[in-house]
Amino acid sequence: MNWLSSNLDYVAQLAALHVLQALIPLVAGTLIALPLARLAVGRRRDGRSTELSTTAGKVRRATVINSAALLYTIPSLALFVLMPLILGTSITSLLNVYVALSLYVLAMMVRSSVDAFESVSPITLEAATAMGYTPVRRFWMVELPLAIPVMVAGLRVALVSNISMVSVGAVIGIQSLGTLFTDGLRRNIPAEIIVGIVGTVLLALVLDRVLAALGAWNTRWRKA
Amino acid sequence: MPIPPAIEFKNVTKTYGENTVVDDLSLSVPAGKITVFVGPSGCGKTTSLRMINRMVEHTRGEILVDGQPNTGRPAHELRRSIGYVLQQAGLMPHRTIVDNIATVPVLKGVSTKEARAQALELLERVGLDRSFAKRYPAQLSGGQAQRVGVARALASGSSILLMDEPFSAVDPVVRSDLQNELLRLQRELGVTIIFVTHDIDEAITLGDQLAVFARGGRIAQFGTPEEILRQPADDFVASFVGRDRGMRRLTFASASDVTIHPLQALETPWQNWQLKVEDGKPAGWLVDGRLIPGGSLYREGASLRDALDSVLSSPSGWGVAVDNEGKLLGLLKSDDVLDATETERQRRYGVGA
Ligand SMILES: Nc1ncnc2c1ncn2[C@@H]1O[C@H](COP(=O)(O)OP(=O)(O)OP(=O)(O)O)[C@@H](O)[C@H]1O
Ligand SMILES: [Mg+2]
Repeated sequence: MNWLSSNLDYVAQLAALHVLQALIPLVAGTLIALPLARLAVGRRRDGRSTELSTTAGKVRRATVINSAALLYTIPSLALFVLMPLILGTSITSLLNVYVALSLYVLAMMVRSSVDAFESVSPITLEAATAMGYTPVRRFWMVELPLAIPVMVAGLRVALVSNISMVSVGAVIGIQSLGTLFTDGLRRNIPAEIIVGIVGTVLLALVLDRVLAALGAWNTRWRKA
Repeated sequence: MPIPPAIEFKNVTKTYGENTVVDDLSLSVPAGKITVFVGPSGCGKTTSLRMINRMVEHTRGEILVDGQPNTGRPAHELRRSIGYVLQQAGLMPHRTIVDNIATVPVLKGVSTKEARAQALELLERVGLDRSFAKRYPAQLSGGQAQRVGVARALASGSSILLMDEPFSAVDPVVRSDLQNELLRLQRELGVTIIFVTHDIDEAITLGDQLAVFARGGRIAQFGTPEEILRQPADDFVASFVGRDRGMRRLTFASASDVTIHPLQALETPWQNWQLKVEDGKPAGWLVDGRLIPGGSLYREGASLRDALDSVLSSPSGWGVAVDNEGKLLGLLKSDDVLDATETERQRRYGVGA
């Protein structure tokens, strides 16, 4: 505890960096995933049609989902090390983390956004069309809001996974709460290691709760 | 000058690949009336209805809405001008009831405040309390949701309402309430309604005009319910209007000729049956010290069918007649009712006297 109180500023600074490295890719990855997922879902059939979806539609959906899954199988450390080669950045640049984690978020959120869009009742969409919504307006006012509950579930997993992966960056010298762990090991300060671990867990818990609360607030209608 | 039709199908055909679902349909839907599309499952009623607001695009022919081809403007604009009530209400689950009703006016650019004020009025108009306004659709029963669906369709301010089996998912009691309120609303507002159902009873209750569809989107007969029951155009229509045709036809016959016997005038001819009356209203039959629930009541001015049913369903064999407030008027005798059906039959064929 002594170690923590005398290094509070340092820990807070690392925690802030950690949050930044977790949240920026979460937002960026999701923003890229949404249009891709919406494209993969294709034109939703209306509530009563007996038509099967076209072969082309099925292929498109499978391609998008499977490439996203493939992306996710690249080991994170390898990606962190590869990034400077691809982006021409220095090895300790935060940009490496942003891009690498955005890719993971993208991989995860494509899948869960596809599920989210497909969870929206076709009857509701059909009703919206019949009321006179244009396709674009229908997407923003009806489809997207109704996809949020399933999407938030995906976001929470992506967020927690981001927070744990940000720590990996510490191994190659990118600053985060993970730095406390590597530094503590190197200099043999057990208190620093513990603060690093506990801090990461706490961060994950708190941000997850915040996200869950935001999601619940946005979907009051579900169990109102 | 005759009122021009609200909607006109002109040689309309719809095909899906090889499959012709609606074949050369021509039909004029009169303005300010309820026209019911009725027919067995899969005969193209829904498809015909949805071609009007272009939820389904027709393959050939022309559909006129208020005299204008429905392809003359963007589909979303056309749809905002036509009320549509779906089978499963199809309310937006993430919007409150008041905002659901306000959907179309808001799409048309009316301010939210104004649209909500109008929505509150409509809420009452369809028989729901204003306290429902702030609820979400998940908090409504099926019947309530359907009322909101009707209010939402009316909010478009349109004079045309399309309804596709809107009451088929609610229980019979609620359904009959909803039917009566629809009739009331239609009379109050004078809107044109096209109503799809495969329930011939519902069609007869609601329709000013029936279009009986046969398979392949062909119209087997178009006319008033009475015409169709009286003179089915062919075997298909006859079999569709069904075995209970005789009973159904009594729906159109008045029972005003049937004598209502005041209770006091009768020397308990029903032996040990005794009518229990509470606050002037009938409350079942007493026999050997037991109370037996009464049958259906004949409301003064109702049809011969109701009169007959009150007799047939009464435990004592005597129909119970009430006024509009439900107060006891007297009793109906089965012989009188049967005589009235006989008179109706003779009058129908113009024989006897
Ligand atoms: N999108 C579609 N693709 C191919 N066939 C279709 C499509 N939509 C409807 N059909 C076919 O068109 C025919 C008429 O369907 P429709 O839904 O209009 O019947 P309906 O009279 O409303 O029946 P129900 O009383 O069961 O609702 C059916 O045979 C149906 O299978
Ligand atoms: Mg149908």
